[in-house]
Amino acid sequence: MPLFDKYGSIESRVGLVKKLIGKDPLGVEFDDIMGRTRGRIGNRDIILAGTNNYLGLTFDEDCMEAAKAAIDAHGTGTTGSRVANGTYTEHVELEKALADHFGMASCIVFSTGYQTNLAAISGLTGKDDIIFMDADAHACIIDGTRLSEASTIRFRHNSPEDLDKRMSRVKEKKGDFFVIIEGLYSMFGDIAPIDEFLDVTHRHGGYLYIDEAHSYGVFGETGCGLAEAQGVMDKVDFIAGTFSKSLASIGGFCVSKHPEFEIARKVMRPYLFTASPTPSNVSAALAAVGKINSPIGDALRENIWERAKQLHKGLDDLGYDLCADPSPVIAARRPNEAICAMEWNWLLENGLYVNIAVPPGTPQSTSLLRISLSAAHTEDDVKQIIEKFAQLKDVQGDLMADMMKLAG
Amino acid sequence: MPNTEADQIFNKVCELLKPYNPENRPISMQSGIVSDLEVDSVAVFDLVMGLEDHYDISIPMEMVSDIKTVGELVTAIKQLAED
Repeated sequence: MPLFDKYGSIESRVGLVKKLIGKDPLGVEFDDIMGRTRGRIGNRDIILAGTNNYLGLTFDEDCMEAAKAAIDAHGTGTTGSRVANGTYTEHVELEKALADHFGMASCIVFSTGYQTNLAAISGLTGKDDIIFMDADAHACIIDGTRLSEASTIRFRHNSPEDLDKRMSRVKEKKGDFFVIIEGLYSMFGDIAPIDEFLDVTHRHGGYLYIDEAHSYGVFGETGCGLAEAQGVMDKVDFIAGTFSKSLASIGGFCVSKHPEFEIARKVMRPYLFTASPTPSNVSAALAAVGKINSPIGDALRENIWERAKQLHKGLDDLGYDLCADPSPVIAARRPNEAICAMEWNWLLENGLYVNIAVPPGTPQSTSLLRISLSAAHTEDDVKQIIEKFAQLKDVQGDLMADMMKLAG
Repeated sequence: MPNTEADQIFNKVCELLKPYNPENRPISMQSGIVSDLEVDSVAVFDLVMGLEDHYDISIPMEMVSDIKTVGELVTAIKQLAED
């Protein structure tokens, strides 16, 4: 079909990987998900270590009960946007809970994390504004800038000095400067020096927007994320996050210290023209916020950080080239996409699910085996993960021989 | 008569393209950066950051998205450097 001809190069790339490993690594189907850290494919039990289920709350009894109760009370769907079909009490309660957790004046919830960045970035910036975006920003941030009428300039990853240089380069400032960074970067698992970015941004009279999708829940004294951990949360203009990681649901949020953020509800198209999150999704997230900001959250954070240090040391001792210091995201650089796919498949066939990440979805055109840990992982789970990676080293020769045979 | 300024920019683009062109494909003004040289979309933006620094200019991402060939990139840099 001519319509699909433009995807020829993607099709041949997928075809090559399928030829190598007999499956599409971006299309894994589980036959069952038995819990926070275990799945099943066929008759094989799999340790889940690529789910971003950082606090393991997806099977938390209180979160599940809250979701079920919301269905009983208000049904399965909202059938439309909050503008056209009205706001539910659940939306209001969650926005208040998140604003209180961050100590911010305003909070707006969205239907997905992706839409949060589309909506907030495109809604907060306009024609004469300039967006400065970290080079390793997630696709949804890039798409948010595309939806905006503002001009976008990319600065070198995690470099406040480079941001300073690029902001200084603007000769004539007609509108506002809007700087976008993330807290914990999802591919390499490295973290932003938020205090330094705040300094540069505010020195140039700009606003700082941080996506804490991967850091909310796991960083900071009360789990608010990296800005809290670095003691600067009260100075940050906007913090965005998602429900689909630590909050064990689906949806997203943006909080702001500026009460005027409320007006954005009238202009953000991905908020105005999409269905609002369901009562059950919102209620599960609300229950999870309560857990995160409590001694239960403290205990979950303590465990995930212990597991992160354990896994990082184990893989480092095995000689894997890791991308960053210990964090809930631990990624190992692999030589190329084909080897990465073979290794990823061997791990899955041997009972361990991690993520394969390849260009252009990765920084520096790297191919990665990426692990996301959960507070639900036990010390023994992590021992098993390290053991699988040790075995993977032992079978390298066989994998390479298989690859050469298939390629030949 | 050759446009020396454009030639110099073309040479600089070729130099900075090197790490993204491991197969050493021949580069001309007509070369498609993604379509012919197979530079991936993220790498194009990395290349642009190097050019921004060399010429002390800002090349906004929305402008990069419209640039398809090496020649178009050279023209854009020339214009921005003159502004």
